[in-house]
Amino acid sequence: MTFLSFPFITLGIVSLLVGALWASKSANPRFAAIFAASCSFGSFLLCSLEVAKAGHTRLFDPWLSFFEADALDAVPMAFFAALTLLVIILAPKRDSGGKALAGILLLAAATQTTYAAANLAVLATGWWFTSLPFVLRMFGEDRSQKLAQGFLIASSIALTAAIAVLHHIEIDEISHASNLAFGLIILAVVLRKGLFPLHGWMISSFEHGPLLPLALLFNGHLGALLIARSETTALSLSEKHVLEFLSIAALVTALITSLRGFAEKKPRRMLGLLCLSQASFILAGIATASAEGITGALVHWLVVSAASTGLIAIVRVLEVRVSGSTDPTEHLGLAAKAPRLATFFLVCGLALIGLPGTLGYCAEDLIFHGALENHHWIGIALPIATAFNAINLLRIFNILFLGVLPKHVIDIPDALPRERWPLAVIVVFLIAGGIFPSKVLRWREEAAHEIEAGLGLDKAEHSEH
Amino acid sequence: MSLSALILTLVAVPGSLFILLSLLWLLGVKLPERAMSRLTKGAYAFLTLVTFVIAWRMWQSGQHSIRISIGDHWFKVAHYEFPLTLLLDRLSLPIVGITVILAGIVGSFSVRYLHRDPGFFRFFLLLHLFTFGALLVFMADSLDVLLGGWEIVGITSVLLIGFFQYRPDPVKNALRVFATYRVADLFMLMGVFLAHHWFKTASWNGMFNGEWPGHINNLNGTAATVVAVMLVFAASGKSSQGPFCGWLPRAMEGPTPSSAIFYGAISVHAGAYLLLRIEPLLHSSAIATGLVIFIGLTTAALGTLVHRTCADAKTSLAYASQTQLGLIFAEIGMGWTTLAILHVVGHALVRTLQFLRAPSMLHDYHRVHAAAGGHLEPTGEHYESLLPKQTQIVLYRIALGRGFYDAVVDRFIIAPVVAFARFLGVFEFRGGKP
Repeated sequence: MTFLSFPFITLGIVSLLVGALWASKSANPRFAAIFAASCSFGSFLLCSLEVAKAGHTRLFDPWLSFFEADALDAVPMAFFAALTLLVIILAPKRDSGGKALAGILLLAAATQTTYAAANLAVLATGWWFTSLPFVLRMFGEDRSQKLAQGFLIASSIALTAAIAVLHHIEIDEISHASNLAFGLIILAVVLRKGLFPLHGWMISSFEHGPLLPLALLFNGHLGALLIARSETTALSLSEKHVLEFLSIAALVTALITSLRGFAEKKPRRMLGLLCLSQASFILAGIATASAEGITGALVHWLVVSAASTGLIAIVRVLEVRVSGSTDPTEHLGLAAKAPRLATFFLVCGLALIGLPGTLGYCAEDLIFHGALENHHWIGIALPIATAFNAINLLRIFNILFLGVLPKHVIDIPDALPRERWPLAVIVVFLIAGGIFPSKVLRWREEAAHEIEAGLGLDKAEHSEH
Repeated sequence: MSLSALILTLVAVPGSLFILLSLLWLLGVKLPERAMSRLTKGAYAFLTLVTFVIAWRMWQSGQHSIRISIGDHWFKVAHYEFPLTLLLDRLSLPIVGITVILAGIVGSFSVRYLHRDPGFFRFFLLLHLFTFGALLVFMADSLDVLLGGWEIVGITSVLLIGFFQYRPDPVKNALRVFATYRVADLFMLMGVFLAHHWFKTASWNGMFNGEWPGHINNLNGTAATVVAVMLVFAASGKSSQGPFCGWLPRAMEGPTPSSAIFYGAISVHAGAYLLLRIEPLLHSSAIATGLVIFIGLTTAALGTLVHRTCADAKTSLAYASQTQLGLIFAEIGMGWTTLAILHVVGHALVRTLQFLRAPSMLHDYHRVHAAAGGHLEPTGEHYESLLPKQTQIVLYRIALGRGFYDAVVDRFIIAPVVAFARFLGVFEFRGGKP
């Protein structure tokens, strides 16, 4: 066993938990916010240092050896820590009470635990804990959250059951029990990622739920992580039919949610459908079982996380500014008052749908090429979903930012400094990554190789040569 | 300065201007109109000079084409790599020339036209981005790079259609145009991906042998026909032809200078440029050739018909553009390459002038009449008067309904898609309840 030189993972998670504890007890919301931001910044620093150390091999945490850093999880951990920090900074006052901040930090700690898990039991524990802030209603009392809670718990139960079954059988054994275990893992992924036909809870959460915590829950991409992890650990998900099923599920989700957007008028629901559709590309990319597709999927993971967090945060800050028009169906014309927020929204959205010049373009280009290699129908259908999503993105943009400014919107501020700089960071990442994609691809190259190795693709390539 | 450096400068200047001005805006620096005007005029004068220097040096050295590569590749994964190469040859050079000249003229015109408009800064930002995208399209050495510029031109076009964002019609029409673009771009995407998949290349060098004109097609068989047909539909989308002919009149909602540069001069001709570039591929397939001629002639016929019944100047010009583009498509299909290029350049120049004069059309009209010494009576003699009366009525009805294009699209495409999208709602939950 090789260990990290410093307990980066343990300290990173502990700092988030300490922040959560402090925020929940703090009477002063301002101090709670500052402390929460500091803790998440600390976690981000530790994760970034860990990325520098983690490389080709698995490195275990010296304090808690059931945590590990490898090529697959190190970058997403740092990225998720950065997203947590951005969400805390971007959160409007009404969303950053002590309890809500504690919920966000708890969610972040649970997600980081899932990422860093060195075995399936720890992974399942982290998976369970991501539901905890919603079950404890740390983001307010909202009846619609019950649906999300139900699905999150169901997915956790499915994963736990799968692990329990796997514990009792030999991995290589082909039996009804192993099929059951794989079926349960797939069910956990479908429930968690909101794949068709079980995507309704995610859309409902976007419509009624707390947007910023949802951005973190959504961008954990734990379903994709589980599949990628299962492949790297050769959990026999290399059984082709499992990948076939996942690719079909992801493809159908991408297409149906993109199409569903045409029948919607509420920005929150449209945004939910857009994010869900584009996020399905990650799983579709991994399921292509080709080097290009897998690398594209892992880069798209970062694109979806950054861009959707930007979009969700902008929608939320606008809702807070324009009282009485939460989830409008008519045009709001806010570009006249908030041109910078409009620009940030447009850039994040265009990156999400893969406009050339943004990182999204490179990611989607790789996924489409990878898909054409092995799954032609994915390579043909995904561009169709992207086209539909692009139209829906412009519809959301039109509703929020174009048209006549309503009479009750007399004056609202454009992006505040606290909002401007985090959003600028996201936009710079998406554009600079698009102009110089090789750098970002290099971050994910090793993880892609690991997944390829899990699928036996590298051997197949060697034998071809 | 080497030719390669000059070519890179040509593309880099508008791109850098866009990035620089965006950063300034983000930092809250408010650039005065005068500074923006000088910057724009200076930049385009410089670009025009650079284009002439490149043309002069190519002529002097007897070079017919220059191919430059920016690094080994943009990105590479396993066996797939994205090359970043630019090509300037006898096809792209004249079109690059008119792009920088007309963009400069339109930029100069816009300084006065948009004086004190709240969107002044935004317009120039988008103009620079458009020029960057257009130059990328015309100087691309592969379908991959062309696609990048193609999409940038598309998005700037849409943002400029919705320029007057406080009016409902521009917003609505921008969305419709964007939807049309996205559907047409799907064909481009598929064409590029299928070219990679079947032929392992999407670069001009890999697809064709030799220099334009007279380059020889390397792709054969049904696969080549499929790629050619995909690219014909993509070109039709950009040039408002055939099944995508409805968007051009809607695009007239944008400010007049943007209409001039996009729909009179550069953007609409990008489709024709693509067809000229892939001409040997087109002519290797009877289906693709027939399709180009059919799309071109039918659109030209419809365009000229509708153009005669339009009540406003810009819409009338839009249909007139569509007609000429249809003829250019037909010329390309018939293999009249030189005529097609002359037609593209001539049409771009004349149409830009017409669009830029459109706001003062009434003034011009009165001036012509005054110069003639009184009111000029129309002769009443038109080609359509040669047709039987009943046919004239039918054609007039079709022209007034603009070929019933929008009605057909609304009823047979949009309505069923939206109805199906609504039906899919059965899998979702409303108000937190299943």
